[in-house]
Amino acid sequence: MIEHLEQIPNIEIVGQASNGFEAVKLAEELNPDVMFLDIQMPKLTGFEVLELLGDRAPIVVFCTAYDEFALRAFEVHAVDYLLKPVEPARLAAAVERVRERLANRTPSPSAQALSVAARPPGKLLERVLIRQEGRVHVLPIERIDFVQAQDDYLEFAVGGKRYRKQQTMSDLESQIDPTRFVRIHRSFILNIERLARIDLYGKDSWLAVLSDGTKLPMSRTGHAKLKELIG
Amino acid sequence: MHPIFVRRSRLILYLSVWIAFGLLLAVVLIFGGQAPAMWSFEFAVPIALALGLQSLSFWYLVQALPPGQVSLWRMTLIWCVAGVGSLAIWLIVAYGWALFLLAPGEDYPDSAMATLPLLIFAGAIGIILAVLGHYLVGAFQRSLDAEKRALELQVLAREAELKSLRAQLDPHFLFNSLNSVAALIGQNPAAARQMCFLMAQFFRKSLTLARERAIPLSEEITLVETFLAIERVRFGERLRTKFDVAEDVRDVAVPPLVLQPLVENAVHHGVAHMLEGGEVCVSARRREGLVEIVVENPCDPDRPPSRGTGVGLSNVRSRIETLAGTRASVDVDARETSFRVSILLPAMNPA
Repeated sequence: MIEHLEQIPNIEIVGQASNGFEAVKLAEELNPDVMFLDIQMPKLTGFEVLELLGDRAPIVVFCTAYDEFALRAFEVHAVDYLLKPVEPARLAAAVERVRERLANRTPSPSAQALSVAARPPGKLLERVLIRQEGRVHVLPIERIDFVQAQDDYLEFAVGGKRYRKQQTMSDLESQIDPTRFVRIHRSFILNIERLARIDLYGKDSWLAVLSDGTKLPMSRTGHAKLKELIG
Repeated sequence: MHPIFVRRSRLILYLSVWIAFGLLLAVVLIFGGQAPAMWSFEFAVPIALALGLQSLSFWYLVQALPPGQVSLWRMTLIWCVAGVGSLAIWLIVAYGWALFLLAPGEDYPDSAMATLPLLIFAGAIGIILAVLGHYLVGAFQRSLDAEKRALELQVLAREAELKSLRAQLDPHFLFNSLNSVAALIGQNPAAARQMCFLMAQFFRKSLTLARERAIPLSEEITLVETFLAIERVRFGERLRTKFDVAEDVRDVAVPPLVLQPLVENAVHHGVAHMLEGGEVCVSARRREGLVEIVVENPCDPDRPPSRGTGVGLSNVRSRIETLAGTRASVDVDARETSFRVSILLPAMNPA
């Protein structure tokens, strides 16, 4: 592909990454106009790379050998993609479209929405990626104790540590396994494995006490949902 | 749940049949029992509805006594007891209702007892019709259920067929290999040509083998070696392989393409995610009268979530079980940094 790219005029290849972390790092350092991104890579998927880059993401052209769910998502969200083996003519056309996008400053679709749309049916979120102080944290979903909504971000509590991520509560709730995580309150999603007991706290309000002693407020509907799950 | 309560329209229809029965009973009471007209309607319609509600319980008895599975005389006996019991309850309800209808201070007229034989007769007919009706509905429901089950089985069989077809040829592998060929043509035409030969060999072999019910293990090993040779073109030094197959198991029968998906997983979910690569190990030996085949690979604990549908492994499991029955087993040992699938199956020679 590099070979074909080099033959297109006015293109400079500023970097190549061999895994997802490197892709994130290079994209931030080099600030390219366009990034050709494989879906399947070591460490991170292409969707995760895009998600981590957030607003700083360049225009992305996805590459895949075969992935019917991803292709459907690309069509829906008008994202450019190339199929491997990449034909030079298609590559040139994709570069042309990128130039148009750059000229028109077409906004890119949200990485979150795209990765949700591309997820194979029945697959739920398996890990949460968080970029904090220049480091990428990979939080396997089962290690998360609870999630708390703050102003416009979420705080993920993992073994006493807190990680922040720009995301909405309902967005997270729609991706997470509903048999393991319950929204017990407007601002809290709880990993039900961490629940130690439920304390009554006044009329129509309860406290979820976690195994590490943390107390979280619970709404009436949250309490009902939890009851239904744990019986 | 009782089928009558599933839809409101059914319940309404059912109750209106019983109201009609009540109206008929009232007419019989007026003309046959010389009862006052107004009283007859007030009396007969509610008790007919009561009999209707009571008869709903027959559904459970119909479920418990499916026709053809219980001896006839036993069924008759049970229904007689149930019918007489039900009739008795109904007569008590009817008596209670009649008392309720009496004006305060009025006594129950002796002549009213004259309607008793008529009530018993009407009640018995009502109950018999209700039981027969329930059997009819039950039979109808059963035939619908049987039809549904047959369809479900058909769908399952189709799905299994589709899955096995898909497992034989992973589109990822095909397109990634073509991609490697396309890349090699410019840099290393000889390697590209070699790759084409390997792919032809692999696809030809897997197509021929897939038609068999069982093949010698050595054939499967050759297929897997070809597969790994193709992948080594793509992964280079990162993909290392090790085969350790005992001489005395090379001829045992295995379902075709049973190791290939496992080795493919080992590459795509294991080694492909390791920056420094890793070794895929395939070994086979006799163990306690059985044959043990193991595919093992290292994996990255931080690998991205798989985008696969996970049919590969379950497919292997079900095919091993169909070939060798309960003596065979497929064990998966998934650790943080390694993945190991071991197949145990009785040593059989291919037919």
